[in-house]
Amino acid sequence: MPETVEIALAVNGRDRRLRIEPRETLAEVLRTRLGLTGTKISCDAQVCGACTVLVDGLAVSGCTFLAIDADGRTVRTVEGLAEDGRLSPLQQAFIDKAAFQCGFCTSGMLMAATALLEEDPAPTREAVVHGLEGNLCRCTGYASIIDAVLTVGTGRQVDEGERT
Amino acid sequence: MIPRFAHVRPRSLAEAFDALATAGGEAAWIAGGTELLQVMRMGFGQFDTLIDLKGIPDVHGIALDHADGLVIGAASTHRDIERSPLVAEHAPGLARLASRIANVRVRNAGTIGGNLAFAEPHSDPATFLLACGATVQLVGPGGERALGIGEFVLGPLSTAREPGEILRSVLIPAAVPGEGRAYEKIAFFERPAASVGVAVRVADGAVAGATVTVGSLTETPVVVADAGTALVGAEARPEALDGPLAKGRDALGRLDVVADLNGSPDYKRHLAGVLLGRAAQAALVEAIAHA
Repeated sequence: MPETVEIALAVNGRDRRLRIEPRETLAEVLRTRLGLTGTKISCDAQVCGACTVLVDGLAVSGCTFLAIDADGRTVRTVEGLAEDGRLSPLQQAFIDKAAFQCGFCTSGMLMAATALLEEDPAPTREAVVHGLEGNLCRCTGYASIIDAVLTVGTGRQVDEGERT
Repeated sequence: MIPRFAHVRPRSLAEAFDALATAGGEAAWIAGGTELLQVMRMGFGQFDTLIDLKGIPDVHGIALDHADGLVIGAASTHRDIERSPLVAEHAPGLARLASRIANVRVRNAGTIGGNLAFAEPHSDPATFLLACGATVQLVGPGGERALGIGEFVLGPLSTAREPGEILRSVLIPAAVPGEGRAYEKIAFFERPAASVGVAVRVADGAVAGATVTVGSLTETPVVVADAGTALVGAEARPEALDGPLAKGRDALGRLDVVADLNGSPDYKRHLAGVLLGRAAQAALVEAIAHA
């Protein structure tokens, strides 16, 4: 029998207790043990950002973060952004700005942007680019994503090509 | 999936050494795991036991040792370093470097100790710290020792760390009056294509000492002695560096550069030449400000 260990963590505000193998990554545990498949595994090598989740408010690569290292900590995924069925302002901005097409990078983008905005509620365009440059998108060309984040940050509609 | 391993979480150095001695099979230290877990997942390294160093107080913390300089615990994440007021004040070049390593997720989990111990040839910290004359502190069951970066990094993915030793901290010497230290890089992917570290010291309106390092071009970060020499004697004005920089770039041309996905040796030498100018300017500005 493989060695297992018990971990206790809060996931999207809910306390969870799980018995896992040490080798299980946070993304694997979220997806296969907790059914939270909003977090995507794409490159599985920490470079694309599709697996971005927040651990104690910090964006990490779920694909390469051991679930055991989330023991005693607070984890947030894309499923935790909406409250009582109401989309977060950032999620609404992504819709308003058409900031996704296939949607595969979107959960990672939302989590990275959520972490950014929680730390810097009114980021400059440069700060948004810096905060999101580790999240890759093959569809949108990024401008709409940046505009969506700036729309939340500035409180007004930001359109492609605008520089702040 | 990552291959199976046993996981131990020691709370002290003694417990860590004990865990290593009693571990079955191959054991490895782990902190952020951003390199190690990747290596394991790709099948390039097999470890039956991972010993997590993050719970050991001795490898944490950033403090100023007034006699020697800035002591950075090996388990400090790149984010910790980026945000540290002490680093901002005493080694701002390192704070800026840390803010630009890889991507934000790697910065949140990856540690400076892990970066240095992994000794990837493109390592940002190793290249800059080599220019700063920094040392690493290694601790083992038998005692402690300190090594300069150049003595520590031996080759690609190879360091002087003995298997039983833990990299405990990095010591960056305090900047002397008139000293500035800067790092510039260009990256097309997660790791730099080329990077340059420059430390200069000015006195009496001229560059009195200079160290130039280059990273990502050769098997380890290297000091380019002739490039440093080229800067010595230059008037301490950023606009007056053209001649010395041209000589410095000649020295870069003599490096034995490995070709990789980032470009041909000549292209990467060219990049390094551009970065030499940027880093030298930035270091000189800092040096003048601290004269």
